[in-house]
Amino acid sequence: MRNDSVQISTSDAAWSSPAEVIFIKEKFFAMLKTDLTLRNPLRCLGGSSEEILAPGQFGGILARAGVGKTALMVQIALNAMLNERNVLHVSLNQPVNKAGLWYQDIFNHIAAGLGGSQSGQVWESLLPHRFIMTFRTDSFSVPRLEERLGDLIEQRIFVPRMLIVDGLSFDEPVREMLSELKKIARLHGLHVWFSIRTHRHEDPGPGGVPKQLADVDDLFAVALQLMPVGEEIHVVPLKGVTLTPEHSRLVLDPTTMLVKNTAS
Amino acid sequence: MKKNIRNVRNLGISAHIDSGKTTLTERILFYTKRIHAMHDVKGKDGVGAFMDSMELERERGITIASAATFCEWKGHEINIIDTPGHVDFTIEVERSLRVLDGAILVLCAVGGVQSQSITVDQQMRRYKVPCIAFVNKCDRSGANPFRVVDQLKQKLGHQAVAMQLPIGLESDFSGVVDLLEMKAVYFDGEKGETIRVEEIPEGLQELAASKRVELLDAASMFSDELMEALLEEREVGRELVLAALRTAVLTRSLTPVFMGSAYKNKGIQLLLDAVNDLLPCPSEVENTALDMDRDEAPVALSADPAAPLVALAFKLEDRTYGQLTYLRVYQGALGKGDTIVNVRTGRKIKVGRLVRMHADQMEEIDAIPAGYIGALFGVDCASGDTFVAPGLSLTMTSMYVPRPVISLAIHPKDHKAEINMSKALNRFTKEDPTFKTHVNPETNETIISGMGELHLEVYIERMHREYGAEVAAGAPRVAYRETITQRAEFDYLHKKQTGGSGQYGRVCGWMEPTAEADFEFDNQVVGGSIPTQFIAACEKGFRDCMAKGPKMEFPITGVKVVINDGASHAVDSSDMAFQAAARGAFQQGYFKAKPVIQEPVMKVVVETPTAFQGPVMGSLNQRRGMIVGAQDEGALCVIECQVPLAEMFGYSTVLRSLTQGQAQFTMEFLAYKQVPHSIAEELEKKAAENKKKVA
Repeated sequence: MRNDSVQISTSDAAWSSPAEVIFIKEKFFAMLKTDLTLRNPLRCLGGSSEEILAPGQFGGILARAGVGKTALMVQIALNAMLNERNVLHVSLNQPVNKAGLWYQDIFNHIAAGLGGSQSGQVWESLLPHRFIMTFRTDSFSVPRLEERLGDLIEQRIFVPRMLIVDGLSFDEPVREMLSELKKIARLHGLHVWFSIRTHRHEDPGPGGVPKQLADVDDLFAVALQLMPVGEEIHVVPLKGVTLTPEHSRLVLDPTTMLVKNTAS
Repeated sequence: MKKNIRNVRNLGISAHIDSGKTTLTERILFYTKRIHAMHDVKGKDGVGAFMDSMELERERGITIASAATFCEWKGHEINIIDTPGHVDFTIEVERSLRVLDGAILVLCAVGGVQSQSITVDQQMRRYKVPCIAFVNKCDRSGANPFRVVDQLKQKLGHQAVAMQLPIGLESDFSGVVDLLEMKAVYFDGEKGETIRVEEIPEGLQELAASKRVELLDAASMFSDELMEALLEEREVGRELVLAALRTAVLTRSLTPVFMGSAYKNKGIQLLLDAVNDLLPCPSEVENTALDMDRDEAPVALSADPAAPLVALAFKLEDRTYGQLTYLRVYQGALGKGDTIVNVRTGRKIKVGRLVRMHADQMEEIDAIPAGYIGALFGVDCASGDTFVAPGLSLTMTSMYVPRPVISLAIHPKDHKAEINMSKALNRFTKEDPTFKTHVNPETNETIISGMGELHLEVYIERMHREYGAEVAAGAPRVAYRETITQRAEFDYLHKKQTGGSGQYGRVCGWMEPTAEADFEFDNQVVGGSIPTQFIAACEKGFRDCMAKGPKMEFPITGVKVVINDGASHAVDSSDMAFQAAARGAFQQGYFKAKPVIQEPVMKVVVETPTAFQGPVMGSLNQRRGMIVGAQDEGALCVIECQVPLAEMFGYSTVLRSLTQGQAQFTMEFLAYKQVPHSIAEELEKKAAENKKKVA
């Protein structure tokens, strides 16, 4: 397992050369990583996020407004950042600060569960792995994103491995836009996650797939839906993944917005 | 001086750089007949704005020191503080907000909510200052006041609601629709002094009706009476809506937005009406002081002029006739000939001349009652001092003062310059708590420290202009710090028992990083292994080490020292011996605690046309900047970044050439962060070279 190998390698280094002691920060970092990997919703779905989405593939998180799409995507992003993978977070209609607050909030919840006073340092070490880009909905276009992405990659300012697109409306026709994005994702080897807003008043299409996804279903490798059931929010896989028996009841904790498994 | 406190407004005008605060103030003074001619900030007549009384302010077109003035509008007395917009002068903004009851947040119709507006808004929130917003520059190309209203909601979290609609925009901007009266208002005459009220132009009627509904909806949340009237579809009167809005503004629950163009003389009179109608009078604002006799328990102050005096000195100025102290009276009244006490020093002072300031002109008065702002001559005090009536022991909460982050060495050209320089420094440090000065004992250089390059530059320029002190400035230096990163134990014995009186002291314990304070000391010694009378000496020994780190001689911060054991000698132990032992223990533990160097990191926000986004990001990246995000705002793009201050010197020139002068940036202190190893090594090398030179 990934986190085991990391622990072994750091402790190996410590044994082989006394000069390379494990600093508290690294130790905490490894602990945090373990914890986050354990909490990683995708691990419960059968692997780490990279294994679920191959480079160039799309994943979608579907839910009604205010249920927790962004929170779940931020957990996926934080997981990548902890594995030292760069995440480009594209937010439509939300200022940079607000998008940044999601990360801070979710991270604080995870770090609070672990305890320890070094969380500030770990947070600082994660920040260089994140780049938030915000667009106004009316001015967002794939060529524009491509231009910005080009600026970042050519100058080696930031080379993303994961792309999070939050706030794109799937109520309008988006096939053309997504197809263009797919080309970019393939070109740069990006794992792309989208938030897809569904509506309470609309009935799902055949196979329980919401209308917003139905038209572009073929472009997505993975789809997860957040379903409020009573006071709980269930994570229901729609496509591309299955829940393992020991993680058959995945829910999003409404107070912390962290994914937890209530089956066991 | 009139005494009806309900008709008094203490008003601040805050905004981003170049949003037109000073121009707006100039117009307000003109319409309230305090001045008889208007001049522009960088006008062709070369006179400069009235409020920019400092020669340097007029030349540069920026406001440096906040100027205080007062005026009258429709039976209300308005005290105005025009505050600087540049982030380096934040202390001036903070100070004025401390003493104000309400504010106008000026926003540019083109630039919208910019980085400095966010800082100013945070400051207002900290001091709970109710505000109304004014979207200025509606005549400029690219103006879009409704986008600004949206930004107020999104970026600042204000419940913003438009009170007006613009009639035409950019070059066609001709007036506003008043959504309360549902009338179009035009500003005629050469200086917009004649107000013409007409019916709303046909094309705007529908929009005006829908915006009025929005306005009434928002206001109705704060008045049951208004809510009922709306539900019953009754006609609602102006007074009813204003009362609801006022309630909301006072609790900072709603921000009414007004529109206009100060430069084109449009919309100012309506804004002044709003100041009277919506912003609080001094008695509506709750002010508290701390009772020094009761362990700093908060005490609510009453704006009653008959109560014992409590006043705060918030600004000092050195005039030809002596020090001028700006005061805000919170309780009681300050009269000529009264005896008052400076709480900090305990000194009694007899009040001499009292004046009311109008930029650099003054008017003699007999008393300053509660709620008013005035000035006092010939009193020696520091900024932030509280004055009270004899017998009281109250102090106003101290103002938040940020620490300086940049310093530079200055050398006077000759002896005369040296004398004048010291006079100037003495005055500036009293006036501005963020400006500090000291003499480096090793190099004998005078070092000045402040909040940014411009901050120090302005003071050097003022030394030259106001005191004739010719000084040469060295390269700016960053205020580095040292701190430790892990726990380390120490066990140090200081022993000198050969000849003369002996010295003996042993100190054991540990040190660890702390984020709580710069220095913490915890005594866990039990059983008297270190006698109680020497504990204070141990603390002093450790504390002395904090001033200069053993690693690079930078000040140390964030260290907690715990002592838990030690030893003493019946004859040879002394305060001195334990101080020396503590110093030795600190040196011993410090290097084991993995010390690192920290540098000030600034939050840099660049606003650039989208076309230059790539080069700008590249330039920030080259400066060890970590780009947090890029926000697309249509034609403009806002890049938020964290950059070490050491890399930001001269950035304005670089940015100007990169973007053909079309981008601007603001910078403010964010946090101290660890410097990368390569830079730390360079610093160590430099420090070693300097040491050699001094030797």
